Amino acid sequence: MKKKTERAVTRVVIATGISSVVTQLLIIREFLAQFLGNEFIIALILFNWLFLGGLGTILAHWITQRFWRPTINRLGWLSLLLAGLPAVQILAIRELRDVFFIHGTSVGFYPTLAYTFFTLAPYCLVLGFVLPYSLFVIRTESPDFTGTRIYITDNLGDVSGGALFSFALVYMVTPLQAALLANLPLLAATYLLFGLSSHRRILAILGTGITLAIILYCVFAEPSSLAPAEGKLVHYSESRYGRIEVHQDQEQSTLFIGGIPLFSSQNLVMAEETIHYPLAQVPQAKQILLISAQGGMLAQLHKYRPDAVDYAELDPQVAEVQFRFGLIKTIPGLNVVHQDGRAYLARSEKKYDAIIVNLSEPDTFQINRFFTDRFFALARRRLAPHGVLSFSMQGFDNYLAEPQRQKLSSIYNTVTQYFDHVLLLPGQKIIFLCSSRPIETDIPASLNRKGIHTAYISGYFYGNLTPERISRLNDMLDPATPPNRDDFPMLMRLMFSQWFAKFDTSPTGFILALTVLSAIYLLRITREEYVLFSTGCMVMGSEVLVIFAFQIFFGYIYLQIGLIVTVFLAGLLPGAWYGQRLRLHRNRALMLSDGLLIALIILLILALKYGADRLPVAFFLGFGFTVSLACGFQFPLALYLRGGDAPAVTQTFSADLMGAACGTLVTNVVLIPYFGIIWAAVALIGLKLSSLIVIATRHEKT
Amino acid sequence: MKKLNRRHFLFCSAAYLGSAATAEAFWPLSITKSAVSATSDIRGKVFKGDAPKKMWKWSHEGFLYKKLDNNKVRCGICPNHCMLSPGDRSVCRSKVNMDGILYTLTYGNPCSVNIDPIEKKPLFHFKPRTKAFSIATTGCNFRCLNCQNWEISQAKPHEVRHHELLPADVINAVLQNDTPSIAYTYSEPITFFEYMLDTARLARESGVHNLLISNGYINRKPLLELCKVLDGANVNLKSLSDDIYRKLNGGRLQPVLNTFKTLHEQGVHFEMTNLVVPGYVDDPDMVKKMCRWILENLGPNYPLHFLRFFPKYRLDRLPPTPLSTLIRFRQLAMDEGIRYVYVGNASYREGNNTYCHHCKKLLIERLGYIVPTYNLDGERCKYCRTVIPGRWT
Repeated sequence: MKKKTERAVTRVVIATGISSVVTQLLIIREFLAQFLGNEFIIALILFNWLFLGGLGTILAHWITQRFWRPTINRLGWLSLLLAGLPAVQILAIRELRDVFFIHGTSVGFYPTLAYTFFTLAPYCLVLGFVLPYSLFVIRTESPDFTGTRIYITDNLGDVSGGALFSFALVYMVTPLQAALLANLPLLAATYLLFGLSSHRRILAILGTGITLAIILYCVFAEPSSLAPAEGKLVHYSESRYGRIEVHQDQEQSTLFIGGIPLFSSQNLVMAEETIHYPLAQVPQAKQILLISAQGGMLAQLHKYRPDAVDYAELDPQVAEVQFRFGLIKTIPGLNVVHQDGRAYLARSEKKYDAIIVNLSEPDTFQINRFFTDRFFALARRRLAPHGVLSFSMQGFDNYLAEPQRQKLSSIYNTVTQYFDHVLLLPGQKIIFLCSSRPIETDIPASLNRKGIHTAYISGYFYGNLTPERISRLNDMLDPATPPNRDDFPMLMRLMFSQWFAKFDTSPTGFILALTVLSAIYLLRITREEYVLFSTGCMVMGSEVLVIFAFQIFFGYIYLQIGLIVTVFLAGLLPGAWYGQRLRLHRNRALMLSDGLLIALIILLILALKYGADRLPVAFFLGFGFTVSLACGFQFPLALYLRGGDAPAVTQTFSADLMGAACGTLVTNVVLIPYFGIIWAAVALIGLKLSSLIVIATRHEKT
Repeated sequence: MKKLNRRHFLFCSAAYLGSAATAEAFWPLSITKSAVSATSDIRGKVFKGDAPKKMWKWSHEGFLYKKLDNNKVRCGICPNHCMLSPGDRSVCRSKVNMDGILYTLTYGNPCSVNIDPIEKKPLFHFKPRTKAFSIATTGCNFRCLNCQNWEISQAKPHEVRHHELLPADVINAVLQNDTPSIAYTYSEPITFFEYMLDTARLARESGVHNLLISNGYINRKPLLELCKVLDGANVNLKSLSDDIYRKLNGGRLQPVLNTFKTLHEQGVHFEMTNLVVPGYVDDPDMVKKMCRWILENLGPNYPLHFLRFFPKYRLDRLPPTPLSTLIRFRQLAMDEGIRYVYVGNASYREGNNTYCHHCKKLLIERLGYIVPTYNLDGERCKYCRTVIPGRWT
């Protein structure tokens, strides 16, 4: 019976691991489709997830001691709840948005924080609760069962869930279908768990069946939940990179990516400005590179009869949808490149007459790479001597606000290092034109000479882009604003400021509250918990750093980044297994592993500084695996040193999660944007050094 | 535990699947998402204790306010009727109570100064092909979620870079640049009423026209004072629904309607602008209702502009307005009896042109801000001699 219980609970823990990671990825994607997908929001969602999980874990001990004796039956009901909640929660996130916020509006920092916190709370609290609770259930029959075994089992599920989603489900099914598939193992495991006692047969069938029916209900309700209020949904898909929708309202098609209307079939102004402002500058527009494109651009480009147009679009599905719905049209000489634009440019040997970057605002590390020093240097190398680089930033109508001015200045100061002539034109968006030759400001005259006819520019240019407006914009740029570098993404910081200004708010209150709560938490935890807290923090922090650096050097390559995320989980298993087998000198081993983590970060700094894009992909994979190996190794040691009893289990689990929560948030939104990649890594070393000191001053009892 | 038999399994499965499959039919929340939001009023609030400690150079006593007990004051310019205790700042962010006196902080410090084609305002029946010297300070008495000038309309005077341009300086600049009109525009001129009024009075003396580009959220008394020196206006009629005014704009409908009636009664030439926001203001029945109200209260002669919406500021998760909606609304308004209806922010040439309401011939062809064809003789149609409403000479 003892073995049977262990086996049944272990099955539930593995299935919970699978379900929880898939749910985490699904919910993050859902939030990104409902809210802005900037780096701040991504970090905030992960923070909430880990923090609530940690809170659930802390509550496990407190509740089981006072109210809820651990039993198989209760674990079964909790597992059913966990299996049913993801589907309900995804639908709730989708539908409640328009209940709490005005339809069609974007949402600021604090409302997003509150919404993500409260909608995540039910699932995350239960999830955090279930892991230690499972251990307590096993311990009712096998008191010697260690917390580490549960940790290993959970990680096994996590790795499987991560791989299942990243390499299979994301390509094949919708979010609600994924929620169904990922929770089938949990439903089956729970059914078998109930089966341990014969008198619960009806309850088991009823409970499992109702949960399954609820999930199926959500799957069937999914199409309705996606229907837009305006027009109709004519295309919906989930690509590796996010949600793609096309809404049709009468004759107009609008492409939504991640819930944001990016391109419409009727935006002639943007199409003309983006294409003709740069191409008016070059004597011949024969070889063109477009990094992303939108409605009508290729038709405008065709007016120049180019020999070749390379159109780089990271997400093949976006390009396919744009062609299918006539948002962009095929023209002779078009070559669609399904690659990260920067990575393509780095590998290409071609020389272009114009490189036109048509990306959204750089509010993620991924997009920021197209507005940095190295990118501009690369673009310069790939341009013909008379060539022009153009890109755009959010526009302004009649006043240039300070965060926007700083943003434009930072880019200007970066790009002028590589181009002799840079001009900003205040169109519907602000268009940067960069060349080695002087820039022509009288665009209509230049187009006339070339015999190019336009509808918008010919009628509106002289009224909207007067010489006074053009020179005022260019004169307002601040030469003292630091440039935007790959390893020090100044622009991200400015993007955050602009985002906060838009909602007339500031993150100060949140930062203060978080600092106070962290200080209280850190003062209450033991030395061993602090080691795990700092390790959790460091692992997540270094994962963010590695993904950030990888993107800079190799571009956004979905499968390889998926592999990096997986290896950061995969090392935990062997690490924990080996740590559990260690019988002697646990304190010293803990110190040594802390030393190893510090050495690894030093190695990362040296590699980034001196290896840069010469580093092989295997380096990043090896680094991730070794860091997670050390982290996994520390868990059983810290747990043992902490005592291994029920409170120790919950507190060590929660320390790991709380550390991970802080590491994600602080690295993403503070360390990298404010201090750059190298100093962010140094900060992680500092954190680990503090942990080393804390554990070195501890006296080993055994 | 007994094993489940096949019949039992099939029965249970069918029951669960059957109940789940009906989900879509009973799905409760997929209708009219714009109507379900719990947030129904975004009107601004007074900023308590937010006034600066000291007045600055561009402070000026308010034009119309009432002194109350305990040094409180009530501003009388707009229907927000802000009641300010000492140290408070008004909803529009431009006015403060300093020791029982209401001051405006935006007198002579515009943050945006440009020379624009008059068609950009848009004013299509007011001296075509001329330019307007356009000025704005910070502040707005609304909170429009789609504001295209939010960086100044939702800012306080000391938060922006500004020019020093007192009323006399404005007139000098206008004369130097040889522009026949001054447009009080961009943010919300009602919030810099005192500055606008004094400048407009000087402009009138110098033979310069005054143009108000506004949301029309103003009380009758100050508006009557302004009408004495006002030559033209473009007033935004955001919708004919008070609910939408409160939800998207943070204002109320009735005062805006009153403004139209006052301008009409005072003989000021004005044009109306309606931004067609998908999901909110794109209801043909509401457009018909709006046209009927215009016809009953103002007559058929005031031009109406339907503008295309683009995702902006906080209302950035909606698609742009389809062109055919604008074309349909234009036709609908003309069918209802409004004589001059235009389509703006969109590539639709016919919607930019002026046709004689009597003989239907092309009077003014507009290619953007360029006017290649002009068939008016003074204020009359060159073909049928009908007087075309507007200020043409």
